[in-house]
Amino acid sequence: MMCSKIGLSSVVSGYGRVRIVDGVSTEVAPGEIVAVIGRNGVGKTTLMKTLIGEVPVKSGEIRLNGRDIGGLTAPRRARLGIGYVPQGRGIFSRLSVAANLGLGVGVGDAARSNFDRVFEFFPILEKRLQQPAGSMSGGEQQQLAIARILVGNPQVMLLDEPSEGIQPSIVQEIGRTIRRLRDQQDLTIIIVEQNLSLIQAVADRCLVMDRGRIIAEVRPDALNDPALAKEYLAI
Amino acid sequence: MDLAGQLTSYLYQYFDNATFLILAALGLILIYGMMGVINMAHGELMMIGAYVATYSYHAGLPIPLAVLCAGIAAGLAGIVMELLIVRHFYNQLLSSLVVTWGLSLVLSQGALLILGPSTLNMPTPLGSFSVGGFSFGVYRMAMTVVAVLLMAGIWILLRWTRFGNQAQATIENPRMAAALGIDTRWIYTTTFAIGAALGGVAGGMLAMTTAVSPFFGQGYTAVAFITVVLGGGANALVGLAVAAGYLSGVQTLLSVMVNQYLGYVSLFAAAFVALLVMPSGISDFLERRRSRKVQR
Repeated sequence: MMCSKIGLSSVVSGYGRVRIVDGVSTEVAPGEIVAVIGRNGVGKTTLMKTLIGEVPVKSGEIRLNGRDIGGLTAPRRARLGIGYVPQGRGIFSRLSVAANLGLGVGVGDAARSNFDRVFEFFPILEKRLQQPAGSMSGGEQQQLAIARILVGNPQVMLLDEPSEGIQPSIVQEIGRTIRRLRDQQDLTIIIVEQNLSLIQAVADRCLVMDRGRIIAEVRPDALNDPALAKEYLAI
Repeated sequence: MDLAGQLTSYLYQYFDNATFLILAALGLILIYGMMGVINMAHGELMMIGAYVATYSYHAGLPIPLAVLCAGIAAGLAGIVMELLIVRHFYNQLLSSLVVTWGLSLVLSQGALLILGPSTLNMPTPLGSFSVGGFSFGVYRMAMTVVAVLLMAGIWILLRWTRFGNQAQATIENPRMAAALGIDTRWIYTTTFAIGAALGGVAGGMLAMTTAVSPFFGQGYTAVAFITVVLGGGANALVGLAVAAGYLSGVQTLLSVMVNQYLGYVSLFAAAFVALLVMPSGISDFLERRRSRKVQR
C-alpha cells in the first residue's frame, strides 16, 4: 500500500445525485502506465475528472503518495503534481504556444529551463512558440497539451484519449514519447484510451471499466483476442 | 466664421464624447468580457470614486492622488461586491443584471441617506485655450489622453503579463485553467476589482466636469451599457474602441447639426441599427470575419 504512487479506495463520484464512478478501488505503482478501457459512457472520463478534482468525490479516498487529496480543489492537486490532459486537449486557442506552456504549473523564472527539457521530447513546439495555439494541427495541439503539463514537473499524468482525432502516424509518435517520458522522467501515467495499438504500445496493464466500476484487469496483449477486444473496447 | 476653429470644435466634441463613453464603459466591458456579467452597479462604483476624489481633493490631496484614491476605494468596494454577491452569478447574464441593478439602487439610496441630497463640486483644472474664437478645456483633452492610456494599460496587462495569460485562459476554459493550477477564483476577484477600480478612476475624473451627487452614476450606466453591448465581449478593447468611436461620431454629428438632445437620442438609435447588423456585438463580428479569412 505504501509504495503506490496513486491509490483509490471505493471512490464514488458523479453529477448531482447520479453516481457515474461507483466504487473504484485500485493502486498504481510509481512509474507504471495503466490504461483504463471500456465502452463509451462507462465512466472513464468522469474517473479522470474525479482524479484531477473537476468532479467532486462523494465518498471514498484518493491518495497521492499516501496522502488523501480527495477534498482538495483542482488547482491544489495540480500544484501537488497531478497533470491532466483532457479529452479534446484543452488548449487555449487564442494564446500563443509559448503562453500555453507558460501556464504549466509552478513555472517561475527558475523553471524556464524546463522548457528546453520539454522541447527535447516535442521539438516541433520550439519552432511554433509565437504561433496562436489554435492554428496548429490536432497532433501538434496534443503534443502541446502534454508538454504544458511536463513544464510543471508532474509526478502523475492523466491522459484522456490522446489519440482522438489524430492521424495514425502521429499517434505512434505520441505513444513512443509517452514511453520515453515514463522511462526518463519517472512519471506515473493513467491513460484512458480506445485505440488498441496505442494501448499496446504504452500500457503495462489495463483496467476494464463498466457501469462505473472496474470489472477486470487484463494484460495489453490479451486484447489481441478479438472477442476480448470487442467486449472491452468501443470498436 | 473661422473654419479652423469650427473644425477643431468638431474634433474636440468628437473626442470628448468618445472619451466619455470609454471612461464610463472600460471597467464594465472588462468584467463583461471576462465573466459574462454586466454590472449594473458600475455607475455606483463611479459615484463612489467621484465622492472619494472630491473629498480627498478638498482634504488637500493633489488631483492625481485624489483620482488614485478614487480608484482604490472603488476597487475595494468591487472586491466586497464580488466576494459577497457577484461570484454567485457568473455567466448568468439575466440574474446578474437583476442582482447588480438591485445593488445599484441600494448603493445610490444608501449614499443619499448617508451623504444627503446636496451636490459637491470640484473645480476643473488646467484652464483653457482658444482657436478662432472657440474656447477649449485642456482638462477635457487630458481626459482623452488618460482614457487612451488606461486602454493601453489594460491591453498590456492582458497581453504581456502572467496574470493576463492566466486571465485569458480562465475566460476561454475555466475548468482547464483550474486543472493547470490556476486559482480561477482569485483571477475572477482580481479582474472584478480592476474593472471596479477603472470605474472609480473614471468617476474621480468626471467629478471635475460635473456635480457629484448620490445619483451621479445613473447618467453613465445607460450609455456605458449600450457601449458594452455594442462592443461585445469577444475582444473587449477593440470592441470598446470601435463602439465608442462609432457612437461618438453619430452623436457629435447630430449634436452639431441639430441639437444636444437629438445627439444623445441618436446615440441609442445608432446602437440599435448597429446591433441589427451585428447582434452579438462589434468585436464578435470582427473576430468571426478574421477567422473566416484565416480559414481561406
